[in-house]
Amino acid sequence: MIYHVSPTGVSLKDETNNKGITSVSNIYQPDLMTITKVIQEAPGIKTFHLQFQDENVAKNFSFQTGQFGEYSAFGAGESTFCIASSPTRPDHIECCFRETGKNTAALANLTEGDTIGFRGPYGNTFPLDDWKGKNLIFIGGGIALPPLRSVIWNCLDLREQDGRFEHISVIYGAKTVQDLVYKRELEEWDQMDNVTMVKTVDPGGETEDWDGHVGFVPHVLENEVKPDPENTIAIVCGPPIMIKFTFEALERLGFKQDQMVTTMENRMKCGIGKCGRCNIGSVYVCIDGPVFTATELAALPNDF
Amino acid sequence: MKTATLNKSDIGKCIDLLVQADLRVIAPRLQPQLDEDGPDSIDVLTFTEVKSGDDHQVGEGLLPLNGVKEFLFAKHEPLFAYEKRGKKIEIIPVHHEYPQTVIIGVRPCDAASIASLESVFSDANAGFEDPFFTERRSRTTFITYSCTAPDSSCFCTSVNLSPDSAKGSDLHLTEIGDGRLHVEVITKAGEAVAKQLQDLLEGEGDRGAREKAGAEVTEKLTRIRDSAPIMDWLMDTANFDDEMWQRLGEKCIGCGACTFVCPTCHCFDIVDENKGSKGYRVKFWDSCQFDHFTLHASGHNPRDWQYKRYRNRFNCKFKIYPEKFETPGCVGCGRCIRACPVNLDITEYMAEVAHKAANPNAMKADPDFE
Repeated sequence: MIYHVSPTGVSLKDETNNKGITSVSNIYQPDLMTITKVIQEAPGIKTFHLQFQDENVAKNFSFQTGQFGEYSAFGAGESTFCIASSPTRPDHIECCFRETGKNTAALANLTEGDTIGFRGPYGNTFPLDDWKGKNLIFIGGGIALPPLRSVIWNCLDLREQDGRFEHISVIYGAKTVQDLVYKRELEEWDQMDNVTMVKTVDPGGETEDWDGHVGFVPHVLENEVKPDPENTIAIVCGPPIMIKFTFEALERLGFKQDQMVTTMENRMKCGIGKCGRCNIGSVYVCIDGPVFTATELAALPNDF
Repeated sequence: MKTATLNKSDIGKCIDLLVQADLRVIAPRLQPQLDEDGPDSIDVLTFTEVKSGDDHQVGEGLLPLNGVKEFLFAKHEPLFAYEKRGKKIEIIPVHHEYPQTVIIGVRPCDAASIASLESVFSDANAGFEDPFFTERRSRTTFITYSCTAPDSSCFCTSVNLSPDSAKGSDLHLTEIGDGRLHVEVITKAGEAVAKQLQDLLEGEGDRGAREKAGAEVTEKLTRIRDSAPIMDWLMDTANFDDEMWQRLGEKCIGCGACTFVCPTCHCFDIVDENKGSKGYRVKFWDSCQFDHFTLHASGHNPRDWQYKRYRNRFNCKFKIYPEKFETPGCVGCGRCIRACPVNLDITEYMAEVAHKAANPNAMKADPDFE
């Protein structure tokens, strides 16, 4: 069955003709995925585990860390999230999102077994090959941990295989203790050898039994963690204002611009360089990003 | 290149031949707008389907209100349909009627814009092909018609085009006096159309008369700006914070009219139009002039002031298109100037940039100004 669209209206017909365009498998059509697990990470924040319904799609799907997708709740629309799981764990993909608008609210209403749409993977990736033999420090704020979590697990798994990275640190902050996401995994990383896990919450967000830091991420980074820039790459993700202050703190600590990497989260619709809204100057975040070094960002106009 | 001549009075017959050949013919036509029979009815030159050669305004007037963009890049189109069945979703394809089409009477500026849209929607852009655009494009032949009377908003010569340019054309017509048209076959598709019209085409064209006619019309253009220094000036990211953007852009009211009439503006939105358990995912025209266009879910907006949104539009035309897509972003049709309710004029920016490029120390942005 197929819907025929013409100036006079829409009709449902059995077949197509050669006097038009049929939309089979066009670039805007998502693949269907089943939600296999839902985790409430924090108030208003959920993780979905997702599996492709079509076996062929599942078999041919691969992605690299840093890439993103367009996730749809049918009837509401599409939202852009990074793939939050690591390509080293290809059994399913994960996304993690906060309920903020129409589509994220519709997604949040879905439960295990429900179907969502997925288009992707899109965009560039974190340059893991350039990081061999280096220390890595991941710095994230709030709902910006999911994109970092993909690359953190990717790096931890690869280091376990062949020791290709040196020390790994994670500095993660949220408004309050309850707003921290992936709480189990924060504990898990804390227990691992050769991993430094630093948690912080904004002043006033701590609880009585809070054992982490209190203060904004850039402040904790600069005054308490004080990482050594020698042979180190800093990977930063957060709201634009947090990225700005974190880059400044890193520069004061002696980090060079090409030692600082971030992933941008501009508003997108198509995700494939057509709809025209994620650009910063001539750079399209969906095609040329979302991963940028501070050197690349510094060359862009002040439009993000 | 094959040439011929055609009587201008035979254009109606051309349309009839094409219609008889089972082609959809789109031509400029005076079309009642607004309230069709009511007191507000007004006839506006519009590209619309014509069924007979008696009913067209090819070669008359200047630019149809709508341009050819909407035929290739639909204002509103379902991408697929979906139906919810319990926890499952079924995706149902849609079929858009788009028969083999000839658009006749296209002005050179509109024809030149097609390559720009194609550079965005074809797979040359990052390997993703929008089949809705490319299939329509491949089913459409453009018969262009050199301008005879540019108006005061036209500025095609300022963006390396001319009123008699055959860029983007399949079959190009130019008036050469005595009610005659010089016909040039530009592409294979144009040749196929010329074959349908062969009984009306005569002998050889008159290239000398065509060049002369083109040069005479070019002389009539009054709005001439120097766009050569613009790209270099925009490439300097320091100029992104120039004081000019706010000073000139302050009056913009963000209505988006310029983007909807623009032949190269390509921005769109994707939403679900839902009814009960079924619906369509729909792609439709959007505008970078709207405040929510770049608004993040967090509330952060990279273009939080209207002048920043206009700055983006100007950059898109003179930097992003040439740099990223390697095609012209502005074809000088002047529609944005005619459509703007507050007389915001893109050529005013062009002149200002040319002036700033020539006088780099003129007026600098105040660094403390926020």
